[in-house]
Amino acid sequence: MTESNYDEIMQLLCDRLSSLTNSGTQITPETNLISQLSIDSIKLLNLIMEIEDTFDVSVPINALTDVQTVRELADLVHKIKSAS
Amino acid sequence: MSSTITQLNAPLTQAFDFQPSSELQSTPTLNPLAQRLADFDTLTSALEYAAKGVTGYNFYDAKGNLRSVLPYSKLKQNAWILAQRLSGFDLPRGSRVAIIADTSPEFIELFFACRYAGLVPFAMPIPVNLGSHAIYVQQLRGMLESSQASIALANIDYISFLEEAVEGVACIQWVGTSEKLSKLPASNIELQSNHPDETAYLQFTSGSTRTPRGVVITERALMCNLQGIVRSGLEIRPDDRSASWLPFYHDMGLVGLVLAPMVTQISVDYLATRDFAIRPLQWLRLISRNRCTVAFSQPFGLKLCSLRVRESDLKELDLSCWRAAGIGAEMIRPETLRNFAEKFASAGFDENAFLPCYGLAESTLAVTFSKIGKGCKSMQVDSKTLIDKKMAARLQADGRKQNEFVNCGRPLPGHIVKIIDEDGQQLSEMMVGSVLVHGNSLMTGYYNNPEETDKALKSGNWLDTGDIGFLFEGDLFITGRRTDVIIVNGRNIRAQDIEELAEQQPEVRSREASAFGINSEDGTTTIVLVIECRLTSVTERQSLTTRLQQLVYMAFGVNCVVELVPPHTLPRTSSGKLSRFAARQGYIQRTNRTGQLSFVEAGDR
Repeated sequence: MTESNYDEIMQLLCDRLSSLTNSGTQITPETNLISQLSIDSIKLLNLIMEIEDTFDVSVPINALTDVQTVRELADLVHKIKSAS
Repeated sequence: MSSTITQLNAPLTQAFDFQPSSELQSTPTLNPLAQRLADFDTLTSALEYAAKGVTGYNFYDAKGNLRSVLPYSKLKQNAWILAQRLSGFDLPRGSRVAIIADTSPEFIELFFACRYAGLVPFAMPIPVNLGSHAIYVQQLRGMLESSQASIALANIDYISFLEEAVEGVACIQWVGTSEKLSKLPASNIELQSNHPDETAYLQFTSGSTRTPRGVVITERALMCNLQGIVRSGLEIRPDDRSASWLPFYHDMGLVGLVLAPMVTQISVDYLATRDFAIRPLQWLRLISRNRCTVAFSQPFGLKLCSLRVRESDLKELDLSCWRAAGIGAEMIRPETLRNFAEKFASAGFDENAFLPCYGLAESTLAVTFSKIGKGCKSMQVDSKTLIDKKMAARLQADGRKQNEFVNCGRPLPGHIVKIIDEDGQQLSEMMVGSVLVHGNSLMTGYYNNPEETDKALKSGNWLDTGDIGFLFEGDLFITGRRTDVIIVNGRNIRAQDIEELAEQQPEVRSREASAFGINSEDGTTTIVLVIECRLTSVTERQSLTTRLQQLVYMAFGVNCVVELVPPHTLPRTSSGKLSRFAARQGYIQRTNRTGQLSFVEAGDR
């Protein structure tokens, strides 16, 4: 997978998070999903469903335990996408 | 992170490319074997019988494809083979074995392997929260230490967490996957049969890292509860079939949807909890396609279905086969059921299938069941009488403020429910108080924890459920859950566990944190954490608040409101103990939500 795909993933995540959380927070790769965006379990499920549908991947639930920022989430999706 | 992912990618990628084999067939619903309804001494004798038939467990993936099939006959064989490996460790009978309980055939095989080998299995949760790695490992370690487990098992997806957790835990002799276990040499020690008085399993009920509580359930208590569930609760028949997404590490998932089907020799179709939560439609599709008749859910699961299933998906569903839609594990709000029934009526769902019930892990699983096939009954009571007199008075006139409570039905045969006041005096019908249970399904105690056991098991072997309710014509109505458990989005969270997290922060002293739940109009619960705080700097206060919110999220997957208050704000009892009930009332008054003032003080256990 190329850099542009990574950027695409990052862009999509930022867009989706922005509409999901509906807050004025400017979303950057360093934004913390928990403390800054208050992603609760329902929002998280919505987000994962969209990621899975858009990129045709399966996000393993155990991998989310090491995700706190938008960049870490993008890295994870990129990694899964590259391996599939 | 990289190591986890590298390990994971292999099986998962493979899993995702999996093409359903034309040869793989789910176990049938109808069984040539004559049905026996839980009339066994022990779990293994029940499995010996079920293995003579053709039914069993079926596992489906996120796309609804059948991924693996485990007939009871194969379960018996595989469990036996693994039991011979477990025997090789030469552990004393009753030694504990920890298993991370993914929704997989491996978990069930290991669980029964333990029973064949005379060992006591217990299920540990899988991690579900963002950023929860470190705290999850601590939670595992807490359970391993509390149970003094000798062996710890997980599948390939979770073994790395377990390997981290066992570091420095002295009691653990061996850690590994089911595959690694199967490669050990078989011992030639003859496996002994189990006795009904032996412990069947432990069930952990708390995410505490310091004081987890493992409920001890004997074979006798388990079989007693299973009999009640399948005979009088569900009236199980030979043509029944179950579908479940409930996690195997919860009592309702394990006892209700793994063990109850096996002791009645019926087939079950499983969907992983994660796959249900993301696409609840898959569960309904399984029910519809495989003509399932018995499927349980927490109210939260029904809410997810109502919220996330699209109108256009309804056409393909035929839910008319679903005769027992069991609802339990948290307070049932009638609206949740009404919304579900309304939405799925066009898909053939019959609202008479709703089967509200009440129970808790300390009584194996079930305490009461409403009458099967009659749907959800509720009672409207006058709010003012409820608050002023702690009495449920049926609503006489319109326009008065009312509360509606669901009828959870009668105790299972051989069980008694009574309601008592603060002084321990038994109350008459319609009077609201603490719910106590007596019967043969009760736990023998919390493992290795006499202090907590004494709080829960009162004299005469009455279990104090900590819940609040009243009886009417023998039926139980729950009006409030214990204040020490907060239920958010279907997860039970102990207030004490949240307070414990807060007290681990250097700025927070012990007994200066109080956690409780408050409900909004639409029934959603928010966790509030009130901290007595001496910090004056705005930055430091903000830092503490953010850190606490983050920690609570990582440990429990929920957001919370943190309120910092001056020292001595939190109300204490004469013995200096914090009162969560009073702390909650105080918070509600400070934030002007007086409409929510609670009417009965629940027992802080």
